[in-house]
Amino acid sequence: MGLVVREDEDMNLANLFRPPPLDPILQVVSGVAIFRECTRGELETLKLHLHERHFLAGEIVFDEGEEGEGMYVVIRGKLRANRKGLLAKKVLGVISPGESFGEMALLGAGERMATVVAEEDSTVLAMFRPELQALAQARPRLGYKIAMGVALVLESRLRKVAEGDSSQPSAT
Amino acid sequence: MKTSSPTDRSLEHPIIWVAVIGGALGSILLLKAVAWLAFPLILAIVLYYLVQPLLQKLQLAGVTPGQALGIFLGAATVLTVIFSILVLPKMLNFLSEFQNQIPTYWERLQSVLRDNLLALEDRFAFAKKARLADGMEDQLNVFLAGSGKEYVADVALFLLHWLPSLLLVPFLTFFFLRDGTAFHRLVLRAVPNAFFEKTLLLFDRMDAQMRAYFRGMFGLTMLDTVSLGLGLWFLGKGPGIFGFWDAMFLGLICAIFAWVPYIGSGIGGILAVATVAVKAPQSSGLMLAVIFLFLGVRLLDEFIYTPMTVGRALRMHPLVTVMMIFSGGMLGGVYGLLLAMPLLGIFTVLGQMFAEIWFDPRLRARYQARGMLEKRLASRDLGI
Repeated sequence: MGLVVREDEDMNLANLFRPPPLDPILQVVSGVAIFRECTRGELETLKLHLHERHFLAGEIVFDEGEEGEGMYVVIRGKLRANRKGLLAKKVLGVISPGESFGEMALLGAGERMATVVAEEDSTVLAMFRPELQALAQARPRLGYKIAMGVALVLESRLRKVAEGDSSQPSAT
Repeated sequence: MKTSSPTDRSLEHPIIWVAVIGGALGSILLLKAVAWLAFPLILAIVLYYLVQPLLQKLQLAGVTPGQALGIFLGAATVLTVIFSILVLPKMLNFLSEFQNQIPTYWERLQSVLRDNLLALEDRFAFAKKARLADGMEDQLNVFLAGSGKEYVADVALFLLHWLPSLLLVPFLTFFFLRDGTAFHRLVLRAVPNAFFEKTLLLFDRMDAQMRAYFRGMFGLTMLDTVSLGLGLWFLGKGPGIFGFWDAMFLGLICAIFAWVPYIGSGIGGILAVATVAVKAPQSSGLMLAVIFLFLGVRLLDEFIYTPMTVGRALRMHPLVTVMMIFSGGMLGGVYGLLLAMPLLGIFTVLGQMFAEIWFDPRLRARYQARGMLEKRLASRDLGI
Protein backbone atom coordinates (compact mmCIF):
# COMPACT_ATOMS: atom_id res chain seq x y z
CA MET A 1 0.00 0.00 0.00
CA GLY A 2 1.57 3.27 -1.11
CA LEU A 3 1.83 6.42 0.94
CA VAL A 4 -1.16 8.73 0.44
CA VAL A 5 -0.20 12.38 0.16
CA ARG A 6 -3.03 14.79 0.97
CA GLU A 7 -2.84 17.91 -1.07
CA ASP A 8 -4.90 20.06 1.24
CA GLU A 9 -4.07 23.54 2.48
CA ASP A 10 -2.03 22.30 5.44
CA MET A 11 0.49 20.67 3.17
CA ASN A 12 0.92 23.75 1.01
CA LEU A 13 4.39 25.15 1.76
CA ALA A 14 3.27 28.66 0.82
CA ASN A 15 1.01 28.62 3.92
CA LEU A 16 4.07 28.40 6.16
CA PHE A 17 4.98 31.95 5.20
CA ARG A 18 1.49 33.32 5.72
CA PRO A 19 0.52 34.72 9.12
CA PRO A 20 -1.99 32.54 11.00
CA PRO A 21 -5.63 33.56 10.45
CA LEU A 22 -6.88 36.43 12.58
CA ASP A 23 -8.76 35.56 15.76
CA PRO A 24 -12.54 35.41 14.90
CA ILE A 25 -13.30 38.19 17.38
CA LEU A 26 -10.59 40.39 15.88
CA GLN A 27 -11.98 39.68 12.42
CA VAL A 28 -15.21 41.36 13.50
CA VAL A 29 -13.32 44.17 15.27
CA SER A 30 -11.18 44.87 12.21
CA GLY A 31 -14.38 45.53 10.24
CA VAL A 32 -15.67 48.15 12.71
CA ALA A 33 -15.30 51.66 11.29
CA ILE A 34 -13.39 52.95 14.35
CA PHE A 35 -10.72 50.26 14.14
CA ARG A 36 -10.49 49.94 10.36
CA GLU A 37 -7.11 51.70 10.16
CA CYS A 38 -5.51 49.46 12.82
CA THR A 39 -2.81 47.01 11.77
CA ARG A 40 -2.89 43.37 12.79
CA GLY A 41 -0.37 44.02 15.59
CA GLU A 42 -2.40 46.94 16.86
CA LEU A 43 -5.56 44.83 16.86
CA GLU A 44 -3.75 42.17 18.92
CA THR A 45 -2.76 44.89 21.41
CA LEU A 46 -6.28 46.26 21.38
CA LYS A 47 -7.68 42.84 22.24
CA LEU A 48 -5.99 43.05 25.64
CA HIS A 49 -8.14 46.09 26.40
CA LEU A 50 -11.49 44.75 25.17
CA HIS A 51 -13.90 43.09 27.58
CA GLU A 52 -16.22 40.41 26.26
CA ARG A 53 -19.71 40.56 27.79
CA HIS A 54 -22.77 38.41 27.14
CA PHE A 55 -26.26 39.88 27.34
CA LEU A 56 -29.50 37.90 27.41
CA ALA A 57 -32.43 38.92 25.21
CA GLY A 58 -34.22 41.75 27.04
CA GLU A 59 -31.23 42.73 29.17
CA ILE A 60 -30.21 46.40 29.27
CA VAL A 61 -26.65 47.26 28.27
CA PHE A 62 -26.88 50.85 29.48
CA ASP A 63 -29.57 53.34 30.34
CA GLU A 64 -30.31 56.74 28.89
CA GLY A 65 -29.06 59.40 31.33
CA GLU A 66 -26.47 57.28 33.11
CA GLU A 67 -22.81 58.28 33.07
CA GLY A 68 -21.11 56.63 30.09
CA GLU A 69 -17.69 55.10 30.49
CA GLY A 70 -17.06 53.38 27.18
CA MET A 71 -18.19 52.00 23.84
CA TYR A 72 -19.31 48.59 22.67
CA VAL A 73 -18.84 46.51 19.52
CA VAL A 74 -21.43 43.87 18.66
CA ILE A 75 -19.89 40.47 17.93
CA ARG A 76 -23.02 38.34 17.89
CA GLY A 77 -26.77 38.96 18.25
CA LYS A 78 -28.81 42.09 17.84
CA LEU A 79 -29.46 45.11 20.06
CA ARG A 80 -31.91 48.00 19.96
CA ALA A 81 -31.34 51.66 20.84
CA ASN A 82 -34.30 53.55 22.33
CA ARG A 83 -34.85 57.10 23.46
CA LYS A 84 -37.51 58.40 25.77
CA GLY A 85 -40.18 60.26 23.83
CA LEU A 86 -43.01 62.46 25.04
CA LEU A 87 -45.54 59.62 24.94
CA ALA A 88 -43.58 56.50 24.17
CA LYS A 89 -40.10 55.18 23.57
CA LYS A 90 -38.63 56.12 20.24
CA VAL A 91 -36.63 53.35 18.55
CA LEU A 92 -33.44 54.85 17.13
CA GLY A 93 -32.28 51.74 15.36
CA VAL A 94 -31.07 48.18 15.51
CA ILE A 95 -27.40 47.42 16.07
CA SER A 96 -26.02 44.33 14.36
CA PRO A 97 -22.71 42.42 14.47
CA GLY A 98 -19.77 44.53 13.30
CA GLU A 99 -21.42 47.76 14.45
CA SER A 100 -20.49 49.86 17.44
CA PHE A 101 -22.41 52.06 19.87
CA GLY A 102 -21.71 54.37 22.80
CA GLU A 103 -18.62 55.91 21.17
CA MET A 104 -19.25 59.37 22.59
CA ALA A 105 -18.32 58.06 26.04
CA LEU A 106 -14.81 57.46 24.74
CA LEU A 107 -14.35 61.19 24.23
CA GLY A 108 -15.46 62.35 27.63
CA ALA A 109 -17.68 61.62 30.61
CA GLY A 110 -21.26 62.45 29.83
CA GLU A 111 -24.74 61.07 30.03
CA ARG A 112 -25.81 58.28 27.69
CA MET A 113 -28.24 59.67 25.15
CA ALA A 114 -30.15 56.43 24.60
CA THR A 115 -30.97 53.12 26.25
CA VAL A 116 -29.55 50.03 24.54
CA VAL A 117 -31.31 46.69 25.07
CA ALA A 118 -30.37 43.26 23.72
CA GLU A 119 -33.09 42.08 21.33
CA GLU A 120 -31.64 38.60 21.27
CA ASP A 121 -28.84 36.89 23.19
CA SER A 122 -25.82 38.97 22.24
CA THR A 123 -22.08 39.14 22.73
CA VAL A 124 -20.41 42.52 22.76
CA LEU A 125 -16.89 43.81 23.31
CA ALA A 126 -16.56 46.77 25.64
CA MET A 127 -13.80 49.33 25.51
CA PHE A 128 -13.50 51.88 28.29
CA ARG A 129 -12.26 55.42 28.32
CA PRO A 130 -9.66 55.07 31.09
CA GLU A 131 -8.21 52.03 29.34
CA LEU A 132 -8.19 53.81 25.97
CA GLN A 133 -6.38 56.73 27.60
CA ALA A 134 -3.77 54.39 29.07
CA LEU A 135 -3.43 52.63 25.72
CA ALA A 136 -3.05 55.94 23.90
CA GLN A 137 -0.29 56.98 26.31
CA ALA A 138 1.61 53.75 25.71
CA ARG A 139 0.83 53.51 21.96
CA PRO A 140 0.13 57.06 20.71
CA ARG A 141 -0.18 56.00 17.07
CA LEU A 142 -2.90 53.50 17.95
CA GLY A 143 -4.57 56.06 20.20
CA TYR A 144 -4.58 58.57 17.34
CA LYS A 145 -6.11 56.05 14.93
CA ILE A 146 -8.91 55.18 17.36
CA ALA A 147 -9.58 58.84 18.18
CA MET A 148 -9.75 59.65 14.46
CA GLY A 149 -12.02 56.63 13.93
CA VAL A 150 -14.40 57.84 16.65
CA ALA A 151 -14.36 61.36 15.18
CA LEU A 152 -15.14 60.05 11.68
CA VAL A 153 -18.01 57.86 12.92
CA LEU A 154 -19.52 60.74 14.85
CA GLU A 155 -19.05 63.07 11.89
CA SER A 156 -20.82 60.61 9.60
CA ARG A 157 -23.70 60.23 12.06
CA LEU A 158 -24.08 63.98 12.48
CA ARG A 159 -24.14 64.35 8.72
CA LYS A 160 -26.88 61.70 8.46
CA VAL A 161 -28.90 63.41 11.19
CA ALA A 162 -28.48 66.75 9.37
CA GLU A 163 -29.66 65.09 6.17
CA GLY A 164 -32.70 63.70 8.01
CA ASP A 165 -31.72 60.00 8.13
CA SER A 166 -32.46 58.72 11.62
CA SER A 167 -31.93 55.01 10.89
CA GLN A 168 -28.56 55.00 12.68
CA PRO A 169 -28.42 54.53 16.46
CA SER A 170 -26.78 57.89 16.84
CA ALA A 171 -25.42 59.61 19.88
CA THR A 172 -25.52 56.76 22.32
CA MET B 1 -31.88 59.02 35.50
CA LYS B 2 -29.03 61.23 36.52
CA THR B 3 -26.11 59.74 38.37
CA SER B 4 -24.05 62.07 40.52
CA SER B 5 -20.29 61.74 40.71
CA PRO B 6 -19.03 59.54 43.55
CA THR B 7 -17.08 62.34 45.16
CA ASP B 8 -20.11 64.39 46.13
CA ARG B 9 -21.99 61.51 47.74
CA SER B 10 -18.77 59.88 48.97
CA LEU B 11 -19.09 59.08 52.65
CA GLU B 12 -22.42 60.66 53.44
CA HIS B 13 -23.85 57.37 54.74
CA PRO B 14 -22.59 56.52 58.25
CA ILE B 15 -22.69 52.80 57.41
CA ILE B 16 -20.28 53.43 54.54
CA TRP B 17 -17.69 55.37 56.52
CA VAL B 18 -17.86 52.89 59.40
CA ALA B 19 -17.33 50.13 56.81
CA VAL B 20 -14.41 52.07 55.28
CA ILE B 21 -12.61 52.41 58.62
CA GLY B 22 -13.53 48.84 59.64
CA GLY B 23 -12.34 47.51 56.28
CA ALA B 24 -9.00 49.33 56.52
CA LEU B 25 -8.37 48.11 60.09
CA GLY B 26 -9.58 44.59 59.25
CA SER B 27 -7.21 44.48 56.31
CA ILE B 28 -4.32 45.47 58.56
CA LEU B 29 -5.15 42.50 60.82
CA LEU B 30 -5.51 40.19 57.84
CA LEU B 31 -2.27 41.38 56.26
CA LYS B 32 -0.49 40.97 59.59
CA ALA B 33 -1.73 37.37 59.79
CA VAL B 34 -0.26 36.59 56.37
CA ALA B 35 2.59 39.08 56.70
CA TRP B 36 5.19 36.76 55.15
CA LEU B 37 3.22 36.94 51.89
CA ALA B 38 1.65 40.38 52.22
CA PHE B 39 4.98 42.15 52.79
CA PRO B 40 6.61 41.04 49.50
CA LEU B 41 3.26 41.50 47.75
CA ILE B 42 3.02 45.13 48.85
CA LEU B 43 6.65 45.78 47.92
CA ALA B 44 5.99 44.21 44.51
CA ILE B 45 2.95 46.47 44.00
CA VAL B 46 5.06 49.53 44.91
CA LEU B 47 7.80 48.41 42.50
CA TYR B 48 5.18 47.78 39.81
CA TYR B 49 3.92 51.36 40.06
CA LEU B 50 7.47 52.74 40.04
CA VAL B 51 8.63 50.66 37.07
CA GLN B 52 5.50 51.00 34.94
CA PRO B 53 6.24 54.59 33.79
CA LEU B 54 9.70 53.50 32.63
CA LEU B 55 8.16 50.73 30.54
CA GLN B 56 5.64 53.20 29.17
CA LYS B 57 8.46 55.53 28.11
CA LEU B 58 10.20 52.65 26.35
CA GLN B 59 6.95 51.81 24.56
CA LEU B 60 6.61 55.45 23.52
CA ALA B 61 10.07 55.09 21.97
CA GLY B 62 8.61 52.38 19.75
CA VAL B 63 9.33 49.03 21.40
CA THR B 64 6.66 46.42 22.13
CA PRO B 65 5.52 45.79 25.74
CA GLY B 66 7.42 42.48 25.79
CA GLN B 67 10.62 44.11 24.53
CA ALA B 68 10.26 46.93 27.05
CA LEU B 69 10.02 44.40 29.89
CA GLY B 70 13.04 42.53 28.50
CA ILE B 71 15.12 45.74 28.29
CA PHE B 72 14.16 46.68 31.84
CA LEU B 73 14.99 43.21 33.20
CA GLY B 74 18.36 43.26 31.39
CA ALA B 75 19.21 46.71 32.77
CA ALA B 76 18.09 45.70 36.29
CA THR B 77 20.27 42.56 36.15
CA VAL B 78 23.32 44.54 34.97
CA LEU B 79 22.79 47.15 37.72
CA THR B 80 22.43 44.41 40.35
CA VAL B 81 25.69 42.81 39.22
CA ILE B 82 27.50 46.19 39.27
CA PHE B 83 26.03 46.93 42.71
CA SER B 84 27.14 43.53 44.02
CA ILE B 85 30.69 44.02 42.73
CA LEU B 86 31.29 47.70 43.51
CA VAL B 87 28.98 48.83 46.32
CA LEU B 88 28.11 45.72 48.36
CA PRO B 89 31.65 45.06 49.72
CA LYS B 90 31.94 48.71 50.82
CA MET B 91 28.56 48.53 52.52
CA LEU B 92 29.50 45.34 54.36
CA ASN B 93 32.76 46.96 55.52
CA PHE B 94 30.86 50.00 56.72
CA LEU B 95 28.36 47.82 58.63
CA SER B 96 31.18 45.83 60.18
CA GLU B 97 32.93 49.03 61.34
CA PHE B 98 29.64 50.41 62.58
CA GLN B 99 29.04 47.23 64.59
CA ASN B 100 32.46 47.62 66.27
CA GLN B 101 31.69 51.23 67.12
CA ILE B 102 28.26 50.54 68.68
CA PRO B 103 29.52 50.29 72.33
CA THR B 104 31.43 53.60 71.97
CA TYR B 105 28.43 55.32 70.36
CA TRP B 106 26.14 54.00 73.07
CA GLU B 107 28.39 55.30 75.86
CA ARG B 108 28.59 58.73 74.20
CA LEU B 109 24.83 58.88 73.76
CA GLN B 110 24.30 57.98 77.42
CA SER B 111 26.81 60.60 78.51
CA VAL B 112 25.16 63.33 76.36
CA LEU B 113 21.75 62.41 77.77
CA ARG B 114 23.13 62.41 81.32
CA ASP B 115 24.88 65.78 80.87
CA ASN B 116 21.72 67.38 79.51
CA LEU B 117 19.54 65.95 82.27
CA LEU B 118 22.05 67.12 84.89
CA ALA B 119 21.93 70.60 83.33
CA LEU B 120 18.15 70.45 83.65
CA GLU B 121 18.44 69.40 87.28
CA ASP B 122 20.71 72.40 87.96
CA ARG B 123 18.15 74.80 86.56
CA PHE B 124 14.87 73.31 87.77
CA ALA B 125 14.22 72.12 91.29
CA PHE B 126 11.46 69.69 90.26
CA ALA B 127 13.90 67.93 87.89
CA LYS B 128 16.43 67.61 90.70
CA LYS B 129 13.75 66.26 93.00
CA ALA B 130 12.75 63.70 90.35
CA ARG B 131 16.45 62.69 89.93
CA LEU B 132 16.02 62.57 86.17
CA ALA B 133 19.66 61.70 85.32
CA ASP B 134 19.91 58.79 87.78
CA GLY B 135 16.45 57.56 86.91
CA MET B 136 17.28 57.50 83.21
CA GLU B 137 20.54 55.66 83.84
CA ASP B 138 18.79 53.04 85.99
CA GLN B 139 16.11 52.54 83.36
CA LEU B 140 18.71 52.11 80.61
CA ASN B 141 20.69 49.61 82.70
CA VAL B 142 17.54 47.59 83.39
CA PHE B 143 16.66 47.72 79.70
CA LEU B 144 20.13 46.58 78.63
CA ALA B 145 20.26 43.79 81.18
CA GLY B 146 16.80 42.48 80.32
CA SER B 147 14.63 43.21 77.34
CA GLY B 148 17.40 44.99 75.34
CA LYS B 149 19.11 41.66 74.61
CA GLU B 150 15.76 40.12 73.72
CA TYR B 151 15.08 42.96 71.27
CA VAL B 152 18.41 42.35 69.53
CA ALA B 153 17.56 38.65 69.24
CA ASP B 154 14.07 39.56 67.98
CA VAL B 155 15.50 41.86 65.31
CA ALA B 156 17.95 39.16 64.17
CA LEU B 157 15.11 36.60 63.99
CA PHE B 158 12.91 39.12 62.18
CA LEU B 159 15.58 39.67 59.52
CA LEU B 160 16.16 35.93 59.09
CA HIS B 161 12.41 35.43 58.78
CA TRP B 162 11.94 38.18 56.19
CA LEU B 163 14.92 37.79 53.92
CA PRO B 164 13.70 34.63 52.10
CA SER B 165 10.24 36.09 51.50
CA LEU B 166 11.86 39.21 49.99
CA LEU B 167 13.11 36.99 47.17
CA LEU B 168 9.47 36.85 46.08
CA VAL B 169 9.45 40.59 45.31
CA PRO B 170 11.18 40.58 41.88
CA PHE B 171 9.27 37.42 40.94
CA LEU B 172 5.87 38.96 41.76
CA THR B 173 6.78 42.30 40.15
CA PHE B 174 7.74 40.58 36.91
CA PHE B 175 4.35 38.86 36.65
CA PHE B 176 2.45 42.01 37.62
CA LEU B 177 4.24 43.84 34.81
CA ARG B 178 3.80 41.04 32.29
CA ASP B 179 0.28 39.80 33.03
CA GLY B 180 -1.31 42.70 34.91
CA THR B 181 -3.74 43.59 32.13
CA ALA B 182 -4.83 39.97 31.57
CA PHE B 183 -5.39 39.48 35.32
CA HIS B 184 -7.41 42.68 35.47
CA ARG B 185 -9.68 41.39 32.67
CA LEU B 186 -10.03 38.01 34.36
CA VAL B 187 -11.23 39.61 37.59
CA LEU B 188 -13.68 41.84 35.70
CA ARG B 189 -15.27 38.84 34.01
CA ALA B 190 -16.82 37.89 37.34
CA VAL B 191 -18.66 41.23 37.64
CA PRO B 192 -22.38 41.20 36.69
CA ASN B 193 -23.32 43.21 33.59
CA ALA B 194 -25.36 45.75 35.56
CA PHE B 195 -22.38 46.81 37.70
CA PHE B 196 -19.72 46.38 35.06
CA GLU B 197 -19.13 49.99 33.99
CA LYS B 198 -19.14 51.24 37.57
CA THR B 199 -16.73 48.50 38.64
CA LEU B 200 -14.37 49.40 35.82
CA LEU B 201 -14.49 52.97 36.98
CA LEU B 202 -13.74 51.79 40.52
CA PHE B 203 -10.73 49.79 39.34
CA ASP B 204 -9.49 52.79 37.41
CA ARG B 205 -9.84 55.11 40.39
CA MET B 206 -8.13 52.66 42.73
CA ASP B 207 -5.33 52.22 40.23
CA ALA B 208 -4.96 55.99 39.86
CA GLN B 209 -5.04 56.46 43.64
CA MET B 210 -2.38 53.84 44.28
CA ARG B 211 -0.21 55.05 41.39
CA ALA B 212 -0.42 58.66 42.59
CA TYR B 213 0.30 57.61 46.16
CA PHE B 214 3.30 55.37 45.53
CA ARG B 215 4.90 57.61 42.91
CA GLY B 216 4.21 60.62 45.08
CA MET B 217 5.76 58.92 48.10
CA PHE B 218 8.81 58.03 46.03
CA GLY B 219 9.19 61.66 44.88
CA LEU B 220 8.60 62.93 48.41
CA THR B 221 11.24 60.56 49.80
CA MET B 222 13.76 61.78 47.23
CA LEU B 223 13.02 65.46 48.00
CA ASP B 224 13.22 64.85 51.77
CA THR B 225 16.45 62.89 51.36
CA VAL B 226 18.10 65.65 49.33
CA SER B 227 16.88 68.46 51.63
CA LEU B 228 17.83 66.70 54.86
CA GLY B 229 21.04 65.26 53.41
CA LEU B 230 22.25 68.65 52.12
CA GLY B 231 21.23 70.35 55.38
CA LEU B 232 23.01 67.77 57.55
CA TRP B 233 26.07 67.87 55.32
CA PHE B 234 26.19 71.67 55.44
CA LEU B 235 25.79 71.70 59.24
CA GLY B 236 28.17 68.83 59.84
CA LYS B 237 30.97 69.57 57.42
CA GLY B 238 32.52 72.31 59.66
CA PRO B 239 33.03 70.08 62.70
CA GLY B 240 33.80 67.17 60.32
CA ILE B 241 30.84 65.05 61.50
CA PHE B 242 29.38 64.02 58.16
CA GLY B 243 30.83 63.29 54.77
CA PHE B 244 28.50 64.06 51.85
CA TRP B 245 27.32 60.46 51.38
CA ASP B 246 26.99 59.87 55.16
CA ALA B 247 24.67 62.88 55.35
CA MET B 248 22.67 61.67 52.35
CA PHE B 249 22.36 58.17 53.85
CA LEU B 250 21.10 59.59 57.14
CA GLY B 251 18.74 61.85 55.19
CA LEU B 252 17.38 58.80 53.35
CA ILE B 253 16.77 56.89 56.57
CA CYS B 254 14.95 59.88 58.08
CA ALA B 255 12.92 60.31 54.85
CA ILE B 256 11.87 56.64 55.05
CA PHE B 257 10.78 57.13 58.67
CA ALA B 258 8.67 60.03 57.45
CA TRP B 259 6.47 57.54 55.54
CA VAL B 260 4.59 57.22 58.82
CA PRO B 261 2.70 60.53 58.97
CA TYR B 262 3.35 62.85 61.94
CA ILE B 263 5.14 60.25 64.09
CA GLY B 264 7.80 59.21 61.56
CA SER B 265 9.27 62.71 61.14
CA GLY B 266 9.72 62.92 64.91
CA ILE B 267 11.49 59.56 65.05
CA GLY B 268 13.72 60.61 62.12
CA GLY B 269 14.55 63.89 63.91
CA ILE B 270 15.46 62.05 67.12
CA LEU B 271 17.68 59.70 65.11
CA ALA B 272 19.52 62.60 63.45
CA VAL B 273 19.98 64.45 66.76
CA ALA B 274 21.23 61.23 68.38
CA THR B 275 23.72 60.79 65.53
CA VAL B 276 25.04 64.33 66.04
CA ALA B 277 25.17 63.71 69.81
CA VAL B 278 27.22 60.57 69.25
CA LYS B 279 29.59 62.15 66.72
CA ALA B 280 30.06 65.51 68.46
CA PRO B 281 28.91 65.22 72.10
CA GLN B 282 30.12 68.71 73.07
CA SER B 283 28.34 70.74 70.39
CA SER B 284 24.84 71.32 71.77
CA GLY B 285 24.44 74.25 69.33
CA LEU B 286 24.73 71.82 66.45
CA MET B 287 22.03 69.60 67.93
CA LEU B 288 19.77 72.62 68.13
CA ALA B 289 20.61 73.47 64.50
CA VAL B 290 19.64 69.91 63.46
CA ILE B 291 16.32 70.28 65.29
CA PHE B 292 15.69 73.53 63.39
CA LEU B 293 16.69 71.81 60.14
CA PHE B 294 14.07 69.12 60.76
CA LEU B 295 11.43 71.69 61.60
CA GLY B 296 12.30 73.58 58.40
CA VAL B 297 12.09 70.46 56.24
CA ARG B 298 8.81 69.55 57.96
CA LEU B 299 7.40 72.94 56.89
CA LEU B 300 8.73 72.48 53.35
CA ASP B 301 7.10 69.03 53.35
CA GLU B 302 3.78 70.38 54.48
CA PHE B 303 3.50 73.38 52.18
CA ILE B 304 5.59 72.59 49.09
CA TYR B 305 6.77 68.98 48.73
CA THR B 306 3.59 67.09 49.64
CA PRO B 307 1.27 69.20 47.43
CA MET B 308 3.85 68.79 44.62
CA THR B 309 4.14 64.99 44.93
CA VAL B 310 1.49 63.03 46.83
CA GLY B 311 -0.98 65.86 46.42
CA ARG B 312 -4.00 66.17 48.58
CA ALA B 313 -5.78 63.10 47.27
CA LEU B 314 -5.20 61.12 50.44
CA ARG B 315 -5.62 64.07 52.75
CA MET B 316 -7.96 63.18 55.57
CA HIS B 317 -8.91 65.15 58.62
CA PRO B 318 -5.84 65.22 60.93
CA LEU B 319 -7.86 63.63 63.74
CA VAL B 320 -8.88 60.72 61.48
CA THR B 321 -5.28 60.39 60.26
CA VAL B 322 -3.77 60.24 63.74
CA MET B 323 -6.48 57.88 65.04
CA MET B 324 -6.01 55.59 62.04
CA ILE B 325 -2.22 55.55 62.46
CA PHE B 326 -2.42 54.74 66.15
CA SER B 327 -5.13 52.12 65.63
CA GLY B 328 -3.10 50.62 62.76
CA GLY B 329 0.02 50.58 64.94
CA MET B 330 -1.88 48.94 67.78
CA LEU B 331 -3.34 46.25 65.53
CA GLY B 332 -0.45 45.66 63.14
CA GLY B 333 2.70 47.13 64.72
CA VAL B 334 5.12 48.83 62.31
CA TYR B 335 3.24 47.17 59.53
CA GLY B 336 -0.02 48.81 60.58
CA LEU B 337 1.66 52.22 61.02
CA LEU B 338 2.89 52.13 57.43
CA LEU B 339 -0.23 50.68 55.82
CA ALA B 340 -2.97 52.50 57.70
CA MET B 341 -3.14 55.53 55.38
CA PRO B 342 -2.80 53.83 51.97
CA LEU B 343 -5.38 51.23 53.03
CA LEU B 344 -7.73 53.94 54.24
CA GLY B 345 -7.32 55.67 50.85
CA ILE B 346 -8.17 52.47 48.96
CA PHE B 347 -11.15 51.68 51.19
CA THR B 348 -12.43 55.23 50.79
CA VAL B 349 -12.58 54.77 47.02
CA LEU B 350 -14.18 51.34 47.50
CA GLY B 351 -16.73 52.84 49.89
CA GLN B 352 -17.53 55.67 47.51
CA MET B 353 -18.09 53.32 44.60
CA PHE B 354 -20.03 50.79 46.68
CA ALA B 355 -22.34 53.60 47.76
CA GLU B 356 -22.65 54.62 44.13
CA ILE B 357 -23.75 51.10 43.11
CA TRP B 358 -25.68 50.06 46.20
CA PHE B 359 -27.76 53.21 46.53
CA ASP B 360 -28.63 53.24 42.81
CA PRO B 361 -32.00 51.42 42.62
CA ARG B 362 -31.86 51.28 38.83
CA LEU B 363 -28.59 49.31 38.81
CA ARG B 364 -29.94 46.89 41.39
CA ALA B 365 -33.16 46.50 39.38
CA ARG B 366 -31.12 45.72 36.28
CA TYR B 367 -29.15 43.12 38.21
CA GLN B 368 -32.38 41.50 39.45
CA ALA B 369 -33.88 41.62 35.95
CA ARG B 370 -30.89 39.68 34.63
CA GLY B 371 -31.50 37.07 37.35
CA MET B 372 -35.14 36.76 36.28
CA LEU B 373 -34.14 36.44 32.62
CA GLU B 374 -31.73 33.64 33.52
CA LYS B 375 -34.42 31.89 35.56
CA ARG B 376 -36.92 32.18 32.71
CA LEU B 377 -34.37 30.82 30.27
CA ALA B 378 -33.53 27.88 32.52
CA SER B 379 -37.19 26.91 33.10
CA ARG B 380 -38.52 27.65 29.60
CA ASP B 381 -39.36 24.02 28.77
CA LEU B 382 -40.59 23.09 32.26
CA GLY B 383 -44.05 24.66 31.93
CA ILE B 384 -43.83 26.63 35.20
